[in-house]
Amino acid sequence: MRGKDVVLKNVSMRFGDFTAVQPTDLLIEAGEFFSILGPSGCGKTTILRMISGFLVPSSGDILIGGESMQGAGPHKRPTALIFQSLALFPLMSVWENVAFGLEMRDWPKAKRRERAQELLEMTALADQAEKKPTDLSGGQRQRVAIARALAVEPAVLLLDEPLSALDLKLRQHMRAELKDIQRKTGVTFIYITHDQGEALTMSDRTAVMRDGVVEQVDTTDRIYDTPATAFVASFVGENNVVRGRVSDVADGFASLESAHGNFRALNPGGLTARDEGILFVRPEKMTILARGEHGENAIDVNFLRRDLEGPFVNLFFTRNGDVFAVHLTNTKTAGQDVSGETTIAFAPEDGLILAAGELADD
Amino acid sequence: MTSLLRTFGPSLTAVILLLTGLWIVGMIVAPQLIMVDKSFWYLDRGGDAGALSVRIDSLYNDVDLLGWDKTDTEALEPSAERDLKLVEIEQQITEKKAEITELETREIKPKKVYSLANYTLMGAAHFAIFAKTIFAALAVTVIAFIVCYPIAYSVAKLAPPGKAAIIMLGLIVPYAINELLRIFAWLMILNYNGVINVMLGFFGMEPVPFLESGSGVFIAMVYAYVLFMVFPIYNTVETLDTAQIEAARDLGAPMWKIHLRVILPHAKPGIAVGAIMTFMLSAGSYAVPYIMTRGIAAPWFTQLIYNKFFESNNWNAGAAYAFTLLITCTLFIFLLMRIFKIGIKDIAR
Repeated sequence: MRGKDVVLKNVSMRFGDFTAVQPTDLLIEAGEFFSILGPSGCGKTTILRMISGFLVPSSGDILIGGESMQGAGPHKRPTALIFQSLALFPLMSVWENVAFGLEMRDWPKAKRRERAQELLEMTALADQAEKKPTDLSGGQRQRVAIARALAVEPAVLLLDEPLSALDLKLRQHMRAELKDIQRKTGVTFIYITHDQGEALTMSDRTAVMRDGVVEQVDTTDRIYDTPATAFVASFVGENNVVRGRVSDVADGFASLESAHGNFRALNPGGLTARDEGILFVRPEKMTILARGEHGENAIDVNFLRRDLEGPFVNLFFTRNGDVFAVHLTNTKTAGQDVSGETTIAFAPEDGLILAAGELADD
Repeated sequence: MTSLLRTFGPSLTAVILLLTGLWIVGMIVAPQLIMVDKSFWYLDRGGDAGALSVRIDSLYNDVDLLGWDKTDTEALEPSAERDLKLVEIEQQITEKKAEITELETREIKPKKVYSLANYTLMGAAHFAIFAKTIFAALAVTVIAFIVCYPIAYSVAKLAPPGKAAIIMLGLIVPYAINELLRIFAWLMILNYNGVINVMLGFFGMEPVPFLESGSGVFIAMVYAYVLFMVFPIYNTVETLDTAQIEAARDLGAPMWKIHLRVILPHAKPGIAVGAIMTFMLSAGSYAVPYIMTRGIAAPWFTQLIYNKFFESNNWNAGAAYAFTLLITCTLFIFLLMRIFKIGIKDIAR
């Protein structure tokens, strides 16, 4: 199996008066694990259904492996879709499910059975072939769905939040497994999710969508470290957020005047003085200053509470009703001595000042 | 039982159980048992009931004649010969009267004989009608399925939700009209000088004897019971995850194979329920054949049952006929369920 690239050229989708996807250009490379991340209703599933052929775009063209998919139905495309509900056929046995696509291609039964067994071996289900899907666990059903989709040797595998029904442990395990299968087969994976953790851990690149618009397409590291918009910054990962107005810009940095004081941080969007801006600082980039110490980007806050989250310790502070979070690596004593009035701070290169815009509501 | 008690309390539970018990015993078990019992015995009147009453009548005649003989003999002059003759006549009268009493007792209180005789009564003519009725019910069921499955599928999976409700309402409306009226409508359409034949005549064609040939019963029956198949199928198809249809499409299945491999197997319980309803209603229909044949075409089996009960006044034979139909239909359904691999549990699903 070899992956193919997927190109969206000016693709949009309208349902009556409602525009689900604004005109979008997207290039997904052959053999990459590509995620489309966004809150529900952002149009990510619509894009997936357009690529798979269940929806016809209102405008634009989709090319898979350089070929236009105009007029091609779902079965004519080198894609296979894994549904959110998995959509396994409950009345067929596991191997019949896996071999369904081959049955439709008129393979003889013995060959079908053989091929299904190979795929079940690859997904560690070899001894479950005769069972019904309902007799399997959630993770096993997941793998049956993957094997069924891979049986038709697609060049592009489309996954519509297939892990959302699993519990946390299994979800983490399946992430690794999906990534592994993708590497083994070389098939292009396009993965739809609203879970930033899934997108960050599995993908080579991620597109973040909001209200039918792709806000940023980038490697996962860059999505996390240098989000392009306020929405991306707030949707991916946690943040300390301060709204204000840009007072001064210099050498890629900007200064922000706010109710909590003046802050200096990176200015990747090229804001100019008097622009409305929002400061984003990741909680793990914040430090707690020693008592009496003060300096650039320091905020005087009151200690609120300490939450233990395994590898992290989350410390929460308040100032005039706004909450600030600081993540410390859990070193037994981390944050134990914090109480009362405290000063927290961050380095200018660890903060981002982005143009004011809508934030992800969480 | 405990959950019933917990939900409704002791007094209400007692009422519920009592009413349920009364219903089961009084409305289901008792009438059926009485009918089953009736079907297994007959009244032995020592041969034909008609012959019996003729015999009694002739005996009364004999007694009357003997009475005149006696009067005549008494009018003769007294002699030993006369006395001897009188004694002889008296003796004959007594014998005849004794026989009358015995026969009358037999007529009023005939002997109840348990046997399978009622079930072996059916002659070739009645059996042919029986077979025709079963075959027609089967044909109605098949036609109902062919008509209803596409309707149920399109309403459940293709129509937008708002429209689906309107279509279903539209399907129910004809059923709000009295069944007799619906059948009469077909009578007017199919009659020898009905709508169709008038139109055929208009084009210079010979009229078709729909009613006389018995096909009228079949047509009206299809119309009367066809939609009892729609709702059970609709209900099962509707529960099918649409993603399964899409998954099959995505995996390259053409539409007819999706129906064959995904939708039909899922809808099987609904089809089974619909088929049972249509089959049983058609096989047991009385109103449709009664109105559509009216003596101008051969009767249907339900009419034979009716005649046994209320025209021959032979409830025992009627009960046996009715049970023959019931048992045959039931066995038939089990046979079909076997062939199509449908379990009782599937239907209850």
